Amino acid sequence: MKYAFYPGCVSRGACPELYSSSVKVTEKLGIEIQEVVDVGCTGAGVLSRDLSDPINARTLAKVEAMGLSSLMTICSTCQGIFTQANHRFKNEPEYREKINKEYLAEEGLEYKGTVEVKHFLWVLMEDYGMENLKPHIKRKLTGLKVAPFYGCYIRRPTSIMAPKGLLGRKTYLEDLIELIGAEPVDSSGKSKCCGFPILTVNEDNSMRMVSDHTGDAKNKGADCMVTPCPLCHLNLDANQPNAEKKANTQIGMPIIHLPQLLGLAFGFDEKEMELQRHIVSTEPISRQLEVSIRS
Amino acid sequence: METTFKVYRFDPENGRKPDFATYTVDLPDSATVMDGLRHIRDELDPSLAFRASCDRGSCGDCALRINKKGKLGCTLQIAKTVKDGVVKVEPIRNIPVLKDLVYDMETFLWQKIKSVKPWITPREPEPDGEYIVAEEKLLEVRKAMSCVMCGLCDEGCVVIKIDKKFVGPAALTKAYRAVFDPRDGEHEHNERLTLVSEPGGVWDCTHCFEANGHCPLGLEPTTRLFEVRDEAIRRGIRSGTKNPKVQRHYDSFVNSVKRSGWLDEGRLAIESEGLTNIAGLAKLLPTVLRALPKGKAPLPYLHPKRPGTQAIRRIIEKAQRREV
Repeated sequence: MKYAFYPGCVSRGACPELYSSSVKVTEKLGIEIQEVVDVGCTGAGVLSRDLSDPINARTLAKVEAMGLSSLMTICSTCQGIFTQANHRFKNEPEYREKINKEYLAEEGLEYKGTVEVKHFLWVLMEDYGMENLKPHIKRKLTGLKVAPFYGCYIRRPTSIMAPKGLLGRKTYLEDLIELIGAEPVDSSGKSKCCGFPILTVNEDNSMRMVSDHTGDAKNKGADCMVTPCPLCHLNLDANQPNAEKKANTQIGMPIIHLPQLLGLAFGFDEKEMELQRHIVSTEPISRQLEVSIRS
Repeated sequence: METTFKVYRFDPENGRKPDFATYTVDLPDSATVMDGLRHIRDELDPSLAFRASCDRGSCGDCALRINKKGKLGCTLQIAKTVKDGVVKVEPIRNIPVLKDLVYDMETFLWQKIKSVKPWITPREPEPDGEYIVAEEKLLEVRKAMSCVMCGLCDEGCVVIKIDKKFVGPAALTKAYRAVFDPRDGEHEHNERLTLVSEPGGVWDCTHCFEANGHCPLGLEPTTRLFEVRDEAIRRGIRSGTKNPKVQRHYDSFVNSVKRSGWLDEGRLAIESEGLTNIAGLAKLLPTVLRALPKGKAPLPYLHPKRPGTQAIRRIIEKAQRREV
């Protein structure tokens, strides 16, 4: 199956390691992706929907024009915004037509409502399948304790992000962590907000969320946290030193992107997955990987 | 059905720490959690205090944490919630407890609801007769009208958990009810939208949609909150009077997407602080210095344009012209 690929702004900006690791891992798995380049930012929940809905309808129309019916994201926030907008476009045909007429027609575009938007995590679990992933595992990450951090956008609103029939989405990260031989660590904030959306508005609250989540994962014995969202990654990783300072504590919890974790199990080394780019040292991961290789 | 109730007990007058008391009740399968609590109070322990009123899910008084989930006790059957023969009942979270299951709604909810001015001030001039409002204009407003102010959305709010000053989804749902009522006066409309855009208002919400999952009536408080925020933006209100940084952040985001099709993260950080705000910009430095050697600090204003930028700019400009 071929997917249109929407990397999102952050994987092209402050988290370039997410972009490169996603491309390498999808290539390794033989998942065919074609980047859709002439499209805009989703609005990330910041832009008013009056602005972001037409931009997102345009992106989906571009995917249809490519002759594709699936768009793969690697960012939970992009995924959440797309899913919510697409839900409106599919369920409110009059609204979709209004956007087509007022905004897209001028460019000769029309969104017909045929595109499914799927996060890389969903693509792996729902289209590719765990059985097909198994042969790609070159080294089991035995002993590595990984706390999944879904964040909020890929989980809610539940009625459209994890509807009946797809309730398994709530444990996909844990399923993958187990599949690659690592040990999932349950933390209380795994599906809560990371605090990124309010970083500018209320830094104190945002940093409190970071220290709560990373501190909880540390207390539960995790070696690292894994997230499918680069915005969660930015807040939990790049801002962790700021959060530590505000909470007057030391946490040092490495945060890795989902494709990086899988890449390590598929045989890529840490440099290929660009773990050295992270702000919080990923040394605990390297140490545990050495132990698992020796044993 | 025989069930063990583990009930939170706290009496500020006895000086003891809060704990759980255990009661065994045997009630028909159709019994609700409130039936269980009433049975305990009437037959086993008259000292148990709890809030209850309508017994039909329309007053919101019996909002409780039952087996770790926020629920209305009067509409939840014991059989539907019992786990290993146990029903654990606690006050809702994030609220001062007065005694046992009785909590203080004043600071938790009532003051916050009052703060958004949840009433309509009719448009002038008043009509001779009654105000005639088209049914379709009130359909969504009616949903918000049916909020019973149980506070369960606030109970599940991740921001209120750490910041009691956040006005919260319940009060903002009440704001929605007034904001989208077509009878609301123009001046009051804008005044209310400015009010909810102040610090602690709509912009302090993380958009995590927790509240939607916690509302027992399915009123989708997070969705309402988004609509209030979008209505404020439509009217040119992109922050309150005391948080201009929010407006700078919003405007920079829009301008970045207009200029290059996507987000210039560096520019957003700088412009949100304000180009002349030396202290604010200096605060960004440690984060930038950590990110630079790792190649994680995109250079601001040198952001390459995406193909299709012109079409995206046209869309934004057209949408902005439609704002009031």
